Amino acid sequence: MICFSISLFAQPEIPTLEKYANDFTNTLANSQIDELNEDLLQFYKNTSNQIVLLMINTLDGHPIEEYSIEVAEKNKIGTKDYDNGVLFLVVKNDRLMRIEVGYGLEPVITDAMSSSILNNQVAPHFKEGNFYQGIKEGLQALKDAAIGEYNEQVETEDYDNDAESLVTLIIILIFVLPAIIRSIKNGGGSSGGFWFGGFGGSSGRSGGSFGGFSGGGGSFGGGGASGSW
Amino acid sequence: MEKGIFRSWVGVVIIIALLVLVVVFIVVGKYNTLVTLEEGVLQGWSQVENQYQRRADLIPNLVNTVKGVKDFEKETYLAVTEARSKVNQINVTPEMLNDPQTFQQFQNAQDELSSALSRLLVVVENYPELKANENFLQLQAQLEGTENRIAVERKRYNELVQEFNTYRRKFPTNIIAGMFGFDEKQYFKGKEGTDEPPVVNFE
Repeated sequence: MICFSISLFAQPEIPTLEKYANDFTNTLANSQIDELNEDLLQFYKNTSNQIVLLMINTLDGHPIEEYSIEVAEKNKIGTKDYDNGVLFLVVKNDRLMRIEVGYGLEPVITDAMSSSILNNQVAPHFKEGNFYQGIKEGLQALKDAAIGEYNEQVETEDYDNDAESLVTLIIILIFVLPAIIRSIKNGGGSSGGFWFGGFGGSSGRSGGSFGGFSGGGGSFGGGGASGSW
Repeated sequence: MEKGIFRSWVGVVIIIALLVLVVVFIVVGKYNTLVTLEEGVLQGWSQVENQYQRRADLIPNLVNTVKGVKDFEKETYLAVTEARSKVNQINVTPEMLNDPQTFQQFQNAQDELSSALSRLLVVVENYPELKANENFLQLQAQLEGTENRIAVERKRYNELVQEFNTYRRKFPTNIIAGMFGFDEKQYFKGKEGTDEPPVVNFE
């Protein structure tokens, strides 16, 4: 009755992004990637907007719009509260690019503006083979636009807070509770070792970010624009 | 002797009462899940509708812009205006989702508008004047963006419908759905060549 046909082309793999600036094409120098990454991380910390760059070689004919929204959704770019994520996707060998805009930023990074950024800021540099400059200017334009909507500091401690408190709770349940019960049964005293063992686990990894990217749960609805050069 | 009969009678009543309670719990649970899933479908639908509305709102501006161009092929923008007015004639209600005929009508009208628009955007390529018009380029980008949003929301809507319909058809939910009037919801069907078919994700 209902035919769900499988897409004509094999779906390219959807990567899990670990940094703000990701180049899978070996086009940019390591120092350039680090610089972009640091810049975007700082931007996130200062404004809560998550802008992520992804460069890949080819889509093998798969529509760029489908690929880009899947990457954006899988990596949950943007914060859950504001949906303020942006994915800047460059498909080098296909000469295609796209700006995918999260729901929350659609009012300030309109489709028309995305299109204009791609055509006027990015494409001229890409045409000359200067990828770094094109990307840098494109990202700058996106940052300028995004600031208009959300502009608040992120407390890095807040990161992953829910998951961590859950882990702590489980650790308490597993280790501490039996220890308490046992200490009550034993009449107290001897089981102090358990206490320390229990808490050791939860204190290890607070802070969480070493220049890495971790999606905040933002959602996307297909806003943005595609272009070529 | 009589006491014994009385006791077993009480036992039977208790067992029946427990069974009834279990059935009530099952019915309530299934009913609530149906409500939740149906709510999801309706929400997905309103997103689709929003995007269609957004597209319809862009059209007058677009038509006015191309009208201003000397010797622009009249038929192309007249087709767009006509398709848009057909879309406007359809009274969109949530009940439509239960009715294959009106739903199909709605989809056909929207698809008609999509193809009229894409024909217009192809014809535009012949007018360098428009390609240099910043105002027009903005409109074009917005229109393309909206088409993409429509595709995204349609796909999501279809996924929600699939979830609802599958749940609804399973036993014994199908009985409960029948009792309380939860009808099957209609899908958007991919039109050959012009529309992306819904992709099933086996994740």
